[in-house]
Amino acid sequence: MSKLRSLTVWFNSGHMYAFIISILGILLFGYINKFEFLHYSTSSWVWVYALTGASLILTFSLVQLPPEGNEQTMESAVYLACIFVFGGSYTLTILALNCLIFYFFDRSTSWWKHLTNFSIYTVMICVSSFTFDVLGGLPGPLLNDKLTAYLLTLAVYFVSNTFLIGLYYYILYKGTLFETIKDILKDSVIVYLCTLVLSLISTVLIVHNSFLGLVLFLCLSTLLCYSFKRLFAMYRNIEERANTDQRTGLFNHSYFEEILEQEIQKSKDSGTTLSLAMIDLDDFKKYNDHFGHLQGDKLIAFVGETLRSESLKSGTIAARYGGEEFTLLMPDYDSQQARAYIDLLRKKLNNSRFTGVEIFPLGCLAFSAGVASCSSDIHDKSQLVDQADQALYYSKKQGKNTVHIYGAHSPLEQEIDFSQDVRDIEQQLNLFMYKDMETFRHSKRVFRYAMDISDLLELDTLTKRQFTLGALIHDIGKLEIPWGILNKKGKLEPEEWEMVKWHVTWGKKMALTNDKYKDLAPYIELHHERYDGKGYPYGFKGEEIPYLCRMLTVIDSFDAMTTERPYQPTKTIAEAIIELRACAGSQFDPKLTELFIGYIDSREPQHSEIVL
Amino acid sequence: MVYDGIILGLIIGFFRGGLKHGLVQFSNIRLKAGWIFPFLLVFQFFMYYIQERSSTVAAASGYIFTAVYAVGLIFLWLNRHNKGFWMIMTGVFLNFLVMLVNGGRMPVSFEAASVLDPIYLKMLQSGDVVTKHFLLISSTRLPFLGDIIPLSSPYPRTQAISIGDVVMNVGIFLYILQVMVPVKLNPNSQPEVQG
Repeated sequence: MSKLRSLTVWFNSGHMYAFIISILGILLFGYINKFEFLHYSTSSWVWVYALTGASLILTFSLVQLPPEGNEQTMESAVYLACIFVFGGSYTLTILALNCLIFYFFDRSTSWWKHLTNFSIYTVMICVSSFTFDVLGGLPGPLLNDKLTAYLLTLAVYFVSNTFLIGLYYYILYKGTLFETIKDILKDSVIVYLCTLVLSLISTVLIVHNSFLGLVLFLCLSTLLCYSFKRLFAMYRNIEERANTDQRTGLFNHSYFEEILEQEIQKSKDSGTTLSLAMIDLDDFKKYNDHFGHLQGDKLIAFVGETLRSESLKSGTIAARYGGEEFTLLMPDYDSQQARAYIDLLRKKLNNSRFTGVEIFPLGCLAFSAGVASCSSDIHDKSQLVDQADQALYYSKKQGKNTVHIYGAHSPLEQEIDFSQDVRDIEQQLNLFMYKDMETFRHSKRVFRYAMDISDLLELDTLTKRQFTLGALIHDIGKLEIPWGILNKKGKLEPEEWEMVKWHVTWGKKMALTNDKYKDLAPYIELHHERYDGKGYPYGFKGEEIPYLCRMLTVIDSFDAMTTERPYQPTKTIAEAIIELRACAGSQFDPKLTELFIGYIDSREPQHSEIVL
Repeated sequence: MVYDGIILGLIIGFFRGGLKHGLVQFSNIRLKAGWIFPFLLVFQFFMYYIQERSSTVAAASGYIFTAVYAVGLIFLWLNRHNKGFWMIMTGVFLNFLVMLVNGGRMPVSFEAASVLDPIYLKMLQSGDVVTKHFLLISSTRLPFLGDIIPLSSPYPRTQAISIGDVVMNVGIFLYILQVMVPVKLNPNSQPEVQG
């Protein structure tokens, strides 16, 4: 049974495709070629050898194209020329010999891939030679009046190749077929055109100058491959220069940002962990002032080299973030593993000798580091960097030469910090006392709801801090809205309404001015997003809005509905619940709405009876 | 034909690796049982010489040449870890195979022999002169492995060769090139640290 299962896992759709193509290829080969090479004359054999040699040389002359891993060969030119001069079945003999010999040279690729490759080429050659025959092309010299036949044959060869290979990648990687083919075309179309034109040229050369013509054609095409290769080397060289920091040999800041985004996406897609460490050399300024910038640069280079060799060993990605700051991106490390690893690095650096380290307070090279792990609530790469940065800041405060995980303070410390933060935010909210009393009271009520919900959701202390403070501060942007609009009785004009919408963006900007509240920005900015994507400012949809922001939206709306305002109708709690339910799935996350209604019910059970 | 690969390899090797480095490298060549190769060469010339004089030796010459090939193959097998030796071995084996199935002699096709001196062609056609070669006929086994490839102008030499010769020479060429051209360090593997 288990054997059967492993067989089905092994035999995935990619293999299925390879299998079908192989069967098709072998059948076509047998039908068209009929193993006619057994009866070739010796002079035919000489041509078989020559053409096989030519196709092999081109098979080995890989044309590499950016991005990396994208390779193409030009042996198709030989096959096409062979179709034009000698006909389809002769070409199949050449192909078979080429693939057989190449199989012995390239043993690292498994046999079924070689077979699939052979079969794909067989199908392509058969289809094109059929086209050539149907259009009245005759094997032999290039005939001017049959040019359409030649061109259409080339087109058929090209289309069938793109289609067969595109289909394979489509099945293997599950993209859309159109996109896959577009990608293939985009990168390789020039090489492909070269191949097609070369095949016509070699037809002329072979017919008129026989072997010498073939040799000339080979010289031309290998030189072409060579120049493509040089171009690629140049591209690689420039790319590497653009991505590395010259001082340390590590990746530079801009490449780090790029790779961070990719890694976060990868970790989200595959559900693996990802940690980021921010490393800052301790007292580097002191060293620089003491020994001068040149020696300081040497120290940076030394640390960079240590990080580089260590990161190569452990499969992490080290970059120079700027100045004496480095980042280390650790895929598949959770925060504890990451801390242990960075701690090891720290000790290693403590123990390494370098000129002049005795002037450091500890008498050795040291760094402080902050570690942050990617969680599902992170919706932007800068958040992760901020968290690591805050943890780094904390490490520095603890007396340097330590590693700290973001959010891993002691409970008491957290309690004190938390009440301090609440007081700070309240102080800002006090401005609402004169401007809009109702917003002040609304913020306080939403904060209390958020406290209760945090307990209900059993959030960890750090998330709870973020969520509740976010709830408290979420309308801070309204400070920017003129008094007249905030307190207007009656309907708002469209432009006034536009202005009210801006409060989320203004609020975010206010929060970003203070490092401590940076992580609250999503709550401020996204609490007017709707589950169906019709909210503002971005129009995020469903899961794109962080989980707790969706929660905040529910709380915020519920409180707005149930608040008493003079001269305006107020909804009872029961009515508000009906309204919430009506909007669940459009404005609100349905699951979170039910959770919140459950909470309200448990708090005030008498209302639920009325509802029922 | 054995020499073409060597000469081409030497020329390109000198261009790519430099004369001095190439010569130094040559002095460093170490092959297992290295004496076999020159010995076989001398033995072969000796055979040419003796078979014109002794009819018994001439009658057995096919088998003696086959034996020479077998010893050569053993020598190549011992040194197969060198680059290109697999190809040399394949080439020699292909020649060996076609000679083995044809009574120890190499078939030469009429088309290929036409590029040669007409006297030699006549000799082959008459078949009375005992040499390493004979004219390819319809009953010849594995004709496609015989000397069927004519080399003539613009190629500097006029010869009829087999596919085994070609493969062998490509192997020799690759081996000599590998000996003479210095190993290029990959610049990406060890980026230097500037300080």
